[in-house]
Amino acid sequence: MKRARRMMLAAGVAVAAGAAGYAVNAWWRAGSQAEVGAAILAAQLTDLQGKSLAIEHWRGRVLVVNFWATWCAPCREEIPMFVRLQERHGARGLQFIGVAIDQREKVEAFAREFRMNYPVLLGGMEAVELSRRAGNRLGALPFTVIIGRAGHIAGVQLGIVKEAKLEGMIQALF
Amino acid sequence: MRFLLLLLLLLASSLSHAADPELLEPEKAFRLAARLTAADAIEVRYIIAPGYYMYRDKFRFVLEPAGAKLAEPQLPRGRMKRDPYFGDVETYRDEVTIRVPIESAGGAVASVHLMATSQGCADVGVCYLPQEQKVELRLAALGGAFVDAAPGIIGAAPGVQPGAAVGTTPGEDGAIAALFRGGFWWLIASFFGFGLLLAFTPCVLPMIPILSGIIVGHGQHVTRTHGLLLSGVYVFGMALTYALAGVAAGLSGAMLAATLQSPWVLGGFAALFVALALSMFGLYELQLPVALQSRLAAATNRLPGGRFAGVFSMGILSALIVGPCVAAPLAGALLYMSQSRDVVLGGSALFAMALGMGVPLLAVGASAGALLPKAGPWMETVKRFFGFMLLAVAIYTVSPFVPVVVQMLAWAVLLMVSATYLRALDPLPAHARGFERFSKAIGVIALVTGAGFLLGALSGGRDVLQPLSGLRVGQAPSGTAAVVFQRVNNDGELERAIKSAAGKPVMLDFYADWCVSCKEMERFTFPEPRVQASLQQMVTLKADVTANTAEHAALLRRFQLFGPPGILFFDREGREIRGLRVIGFQSAAKFADVLEQALAAR
Repeated sequence: MKRARRMMLAAGVAVAAGAAGYAVNAWWRAGSQAEVGAAILAAQLTDLQGKSLAIEHWRGRVLVVNFWATWCAPCREEIPMFVRLQERHGARGLQFIGVAIDQREKVEAFAREFRMNYPVLLGGMEAVELSRRAGNRLGALPFTVIIGRAGHIAGVQLGIVKEAKLEGMIQALF
Repeated sequence: MRFLLLLLLLLASSLSHAADPELLEPEKAFRLAARLTAADAIEVRYIIAPGYYMYRDKFRFVLEPAGAKLAEPQLPRGRMKRDPYFGDVETYRDEVTIRVPIESAGGAVASVHLMATSQGCADVGVCYLPQEQKVELRLAALGGAFVDAAPGIIGAAPGVQPGAAVGTTPGEDGAIAALFRGGFWWLIASFFGFGLLLAFTPCVLPMIPILSGIIVGHGQHVTRTHGLLLSGVYVFGMALTYALAGVAAGLSGAMLAATLQSPWVLGGFAALFVALALSMFGLYELQLPVALQSRLAAATNRLPGGRFAGVFSMGILSALIVGPCVAAPLAGALLYMSQSRDVVLGGSALFAMALGMGVPLLAVGASAGALLPKAGPWMETVKRFFGFMLLAVAIYTVSPFVPVVVQMLAWAVLLMVSATYLRALDPLPAHARGFERFSKAIGVIALVTGAGFLLGALSGGRDVLQPLSGLRVGQAPSGTAAVVFQRVNNDGELERAIKSAAGKPVMLDFYADWCVSCKEMERFTFPEPRVQASLQQMVTLKADVTANTAEHAALLRRFQLFGPPGILFFDREGREIRGLRVIGFQSAAKFADVLEQALAAR
């Protein structure tokens, strides 16, 4: 009897803890992927000419939004591959967009040197915050978000993405 | 002190954002500590986790208030790393100590804030944004302990003031004022409390009246005031000896500073703590060799009672006679102080502990025994409490290098076991006394917290401060016995799996680790009971096409899919049911309907 009551209590505590966790989760999830996708599209960023611009501008294409910086070695490493893929799939509606957490002069020099064939926008902490909402909890770079034609987030990747994997990520969206 | 703070934080652990399991939080990957070394320089140290590195040219240091000025930081040589874009860049690994001379402190201020900006990366191919960390430095605290950067002030929102512990050198102007801030007094108060508790262990409390008799001197008639003074002198003598031991512990820690960070040393410490804890649970008795003890006791007895000088020497000597209840906690306290690497802190804390131990003696001296609680089995509880404290310190000690899961499980076990000892699971008697109710309440809190850790660890939470975070993001749901998916990698494997389905319908789920809606399906749709019930009646296959190999591409092409998400169904004859494809996220209710159709298909 006594033992049964103890077991019940322990089970009750466990269930309560689990339920609380689940409830918080459900609440947290309410700000879902569709909302985050819309927020990324709507965010006002600056292009290299200093003009204010939102990624919305390219809505309707398959978007690969890459958060990067020139001071981030792994970010620099994957950019030639992005340039190659933009070349290869641009005609089918693929659009890379770089969001650089960096200084304009450095980004300009880098973009020239690496012949970046896709737009690079400049973002500050608010851009990092966007990436956090998309799942980049540590706010680290590079971080890549794939957005489908309808504006929904189809995939995210923290760190360098392999070319084959990236092709797989965008393939289904054309 | 930090471990006490940690314990509090653990109890108050909230459910905010979860950490990425594979990557450390930036403030854990690059741990900052700073101290003033001389009147004119700050020593900044970063401890860098294995697999992470920092850039030499990315450090920036600024002092607040704005009037304060720093000279060029003296950065040691780093390791050369070939960078195709920047050429050779210098990086640091493991640990770096940077000296930053102060040009001017900016007027007469008690403390300054150091804003340290740094930037680093992980070997896995990820870089962190430049981190801005803020450390408060007290100008009075020259040569003091390292002050860790407070957590949670990283990144875009600086400005939180860390309340870190700080050591000081006596004799400096304002040193006393500086002591009244931060964690120093917390630690001192805790040690005083521990000392007081130690006096209520089974081998100390019954001795107190006897001891009091010896101190006052047999056969002499003394006034209460005189008795109190004599007891005070005795306690002071004892406290001095303890303080010396504390200073020694701090010194040894200060000399071993670098080695103290090695996992082997910390592991050894933790093992010692566990061993000491076992002694508190009565597995064995730890005390000075009896021969030595009795010789010390004899020397004490030869000293005349009733006289201040004699009683003082008695106190000094008595501190060396360490009984079985006190030995383990004392050793634990000394070990802990050696890790603080702070001489003043060590001495003061141990002094406070001895004063705490002396309080009952003073009470006896002042009240002639009236104020002393009765000895009883409750003293065993006090002893056990020290056992649990020592175990907690052991877990805390190894936390820098032990996987978070292990830490969480260890906390869970410790909390739940101690809850059981606090009788959280025993029914209260009908007319329970206040103390019993309180103790049970504490026990229940420990039990719930422990259960939280256990659930968190088992459901994939990987954050000690937010144990239940795993219940929220991206991990497999806990609890329900989920349907197991059979993996298929290519056409051949798929064919074989469908053939061996033996008249059951088949579901094929195309998956990739980057696929957001695939993960949402796994997490929110599949675990639903109705969905699970239908899935049980099917053969469930999963094609993980993350790597996007040629075989994967062929498999996708066969079904005219370009990639995940995509869920396909095959009827009992192994033909695809074309109308039932699910592309993208579907709620449990809708998906359950689809499954029913798949099961009904002839």
